[in-house]
Amino acid sequence: MVHMNIDKVLKELGVAGIDVDHADLGSVARGDADAVFVGRDIAEAAEHLGDLVVLNSIIDLNELRTKVRETLDSKGVSVPEAGVGA
Amino acid sequence: MLNDYLTSDTIRFADNVDGWRDAINQVSAPLLASGSITPAYVDAMTASIAAGGVYIDLGYGIALAHSRPENGVQQTGLSSLRVSPAVLLNDDPAHPIDLFFCLAATDQQSHLKTMMELAKLLSDAELRTRLLAATTPAETSTVIEENGTPE
Repeated sequence: MVHMNIDKVLKELGVAGIDVDHADLGSVARGDADAVFVGRDIAEAAEHLGDLVVLNSIIDLNELRTKVRETLDSKGVSVPEAGVGA
Repeated sequence: MLNDYLTSDTIRFADNVDGWRDAINQVSAPLLASGSITPAYVDAMTASIAAGGVYIDLGYGIALAHSRPENGVQQTGLSSLRVSPAVLLNDDPAHPIDLFFCLAATDQQSHLKTMMELAKLLSDAELRTRLLAATTPAETSTVIEENGTPE
């Protein structure tokens, strides 16, 4: 669900070229991704993965919009000023 | 689409459910009855939650109970159970749940399509509020109908 919602938020923001994937904790290692979005319950278990973004709810699009945008900013990805349909 | 799975038979409501295990049993019941899942699937979901798998809590008091296809899925299915009052997932005060879904998917493909529709429905603040406020299968169906199908 987070995968789908991140795709949706990126589309809204008009940002292309970001690869989004999802995996369970056992199948992902540090360095596999520039940023790892996780639900709050597995935040501790996922700490070793590096750049972690912790979500309070995986169906809160507003939270996700804010956090995806912050992550893009911190990674130096430019976001078009007026996001498409945002 | 979701309305093919969530019907007057699989959309359920229950008062005074006896804890999260009872909620899992009750939300699974219509899928067990239709042969969509075997009892092993219910056991797998319960064991996963008991082992601390509270990640099925999506937020807003909604939980999506599920396990892997090989743990007893015969046919793709989806059911819901609105409980009143809320029950604590794995008896954890941080995870009060009002609305349980039970997803059974035979394979990744059918899983994805159903998940996309559910994600769209549950991520829509207005539809989500109405879904939680619904008190009859007909009301729930109306909300799902309005959700439509993802593009």
